[in-house]
Amino acid sequence: MSYQFDWGVLWRYREALAEGFALTLALSLLGLLGALALGIVAGTAGAGGRRAARGFAGTYVEVARNVPLLVHMYFWYLGLTALRLPAFWCGVLALAIYSGAYVAEIVRAGIQSVPQGQTAAALASGLSPRQALVHVIYPQALRIVAPSLAGLLSQLIKDSSLASVISVGELTFAAGAIEGETFRTFEAYIGVSLLYLVTVTAISQLTLRTLSGRAVDPEMRY
Amino acid sequence: MVWRNLPYLAEGFAVTLETSALVILGGTALGLLLGIVRSGRVASLRHAAWLYIELIRGTPLLVVLFIVYFAVPPLIGHRFTAYEAAVIGFIAFIGAYIAEDVRSGLASVPRGQVEAGLANGLSPRQVLWLVVLPQAVRRMIPALFNQFVRLVKFTSVASAIGVTELTGATLAVNAREFKPLPLLIALALAYFVAGYGLSLVGRWLNRRYAIAG
Amino acid sequence: MMGKWAAAAAVLLMTMLSVAAGSARADSAIDAIKARGKLLAGVKYDTPPFGYLDDKNEVVGFDVDLMREIAKAMGVGIELVKVTSPTRIPLLVSGNVDIVAASMTHTREREGAIDFSITYYTGAQALMVPASSPIKGLGDLADKTVAVQQGTTLEKTLAKLAPQAKVQSFRDYTTAWLALRQGRADAFTGSYDILRGFAREAQGFHIVGDKFSVEPFGIGIRHGDWQMRNLVNAVLQDLWTSGRYQQIYHQWFQVDPDIPIETWPKG
Repeated sequence: MSYQFDWGVLWRYREALAEGFALTLALSLLGLLGALALGIVAGTAGAGGRRAARGFAGTYVEVARNVPLLVHMYFWYLGLTALRLPAFWCGVLALAIYSGAYVAEIVRAGIQSVPQGQTAAALASGLSPRQALVHVIYPQALRIVAPSLAGLLSQLIKDSSLASVISVGELTFAAGAIEGETFRTFEAYIGVSLLYLVTVTAISQLTLRTLSGRAVDPEMRY
Repeated sequence: MVWRNLPYLAEGFAVTLETSALVILGGTALGLLLGIVRSGRVASLRHAAWLYIELIRGTPLLVVLFIVYFAVPPLIGHRFTAYEAAVIGFIAFIGAYIAEDVRSGLASVPRGQVEAGLANGLSPRQVLWLVVLPQAVRRMIPALFNQFVRLVKFTSVASAIGVTELTGATLAVNAREFKPLPLLIALALAYFVAGYGLSLVGRWLNRRYAIAG
Repeated sequence: MMGKWAAAAAVLLMTMLSVAAGSARADSAIDAIKARGKLLAGVKYDTPPFGYLDDKNEVVGFDVDLMREIAKAMGVGIELVKVTSPTRIPLLVSGNVDIVAASMTHTREREGAIDFSITYYTGAQALMVPASSPIKGLGDLADKTVAVQQGTTLEKTLAKLAPQAKVQSFRDYTTAWLALRQGRADAFTGSYDILRGFAREAQGFHIVGDKFSVEPFGIGIRHGDWQMRNLVNAVLQDLWTSGRYQQIYHQWFQVDPDIPIETWPKG
């Protein structure tokens, strides 16, 4: 392989990389918020008493989970052409809906593992069903499932790289731009994957430290 | 429009299914190997396996594929076709994740079983193969099938290194025909059927073979 | 702790790659091609009319035909390998293809990574809009969104010539073209013949304004492989002198080439 590496290209294009990184973070954080919101709603519905709600939640989870994230992204970006949503929001939507399905399953399992007696006691104490849910069930459920959710942000950061295919200017897209100008594909993509690795590692370490004492799996898998 | 392009799309779907099947086999094998090594007695092997697993799990799948397709051939002097690189890359990737499930599966077998096996005169290796693994595998079925379903979805990433699997084929057709909505819905449906079907198989297997408790 | 290990492993990987790259193979691609009996030619599958899938889903195009001619001149078979913008250089450098003809503009910056043949096609940049658009040229682009492939000279040139335009880059020609078709962009800029190739695929788009800037295309060859480069250059020149090049050019662009391939005397 007759190729002279020029790692300096990463420094020359540091601005593009920084901008890409900022977008990666924005995508991941907004996707996280969306996934949590969707997941808590769907998970609660899935664990609830009403069959229709359970059905909807179940369908959402199965459909969203079984369709590749790439296809989610293309769906919002290409499929719903009429909407013409900005690529960034297509990315956020895709990430939120896809990850939300996983969060829903975790939340559902968490709620269902809170002992029945808790709900009964809460209602007997005069709390409305809604208050019982928010003040009694959720705290306990979330405590049970927190370890499983710990890896969510890391996973989202890695998944956000797919948004580059719908031309969101995040980190992987930035690597493509550098590659286009310089043809230095190796340096661009290796540099960027190191950046992902460092970021994901840092976040895993932070989560481990915050939730220490529990069986934490910092790399969520779904 | 869909009829005219059906052979091309069907070929893409076949590639997706074939890739998934190969990787399920190879990835499970690799995962078992790595998981057993991770739980084993030789410290240096344990650390090596751990390093591999952590590296892979911190790397996006796309990057793993790139590394297998571009970085490895010059080092070993043999070129891979895009398809070969994809299969190898996927196996390397999912194997690391399955390894962790294997490790937990092995750890979840009650210690008493191991002791009973040893007390009966079985060597540690025999205990592993005859006592622990069978039980561990049965406990791992849900986790394993979870990974398998993930894998079917991941095959779409192979389009990035030029493998014409289902997503790549669909996008190519869309570039010419420009009917994204029906094409994408069909695409989502195909993956849904494949993935959901696989998870149903997993659930059936789990009901039949799971160990209570 | 894990971070330290990961970083160490990453540095190891980088070192490995640099060593592998530094140990430049002295042999040329020609040896591998002759031994294999076929030329591995990287071409685009989505860039009409240079390399694209026709109705029968077979890959055809100007670049494709040139590659076939090179294989013919070498007396070997040919295997076309699909390349995309992120994969074209790694495929070449890693030895997965012997040469790459992927509508690549020869720039000095890019010479740092690979070698180029002599210019085998000189394109110009142009602007394409929907038929109903009020845009008539570069001057009408103020506050309009213009789609373009990322990291190209096209992007820079447009930004320079239409500083008030909103340039939006996409990862390749196809996605930029789709953006125009979807209405996400008001205009699409790229190499004139490629734009024409896309316009043929759909109704209701046309090229407006004059052509601007110069885009010389070169065939990509691995760094330092002077034997391969000399061979490719020779074949290109022979194609010109024999008239075969003009035939192929006319077939794909419907006009005669206005810029000849530079030819050198045999000596």
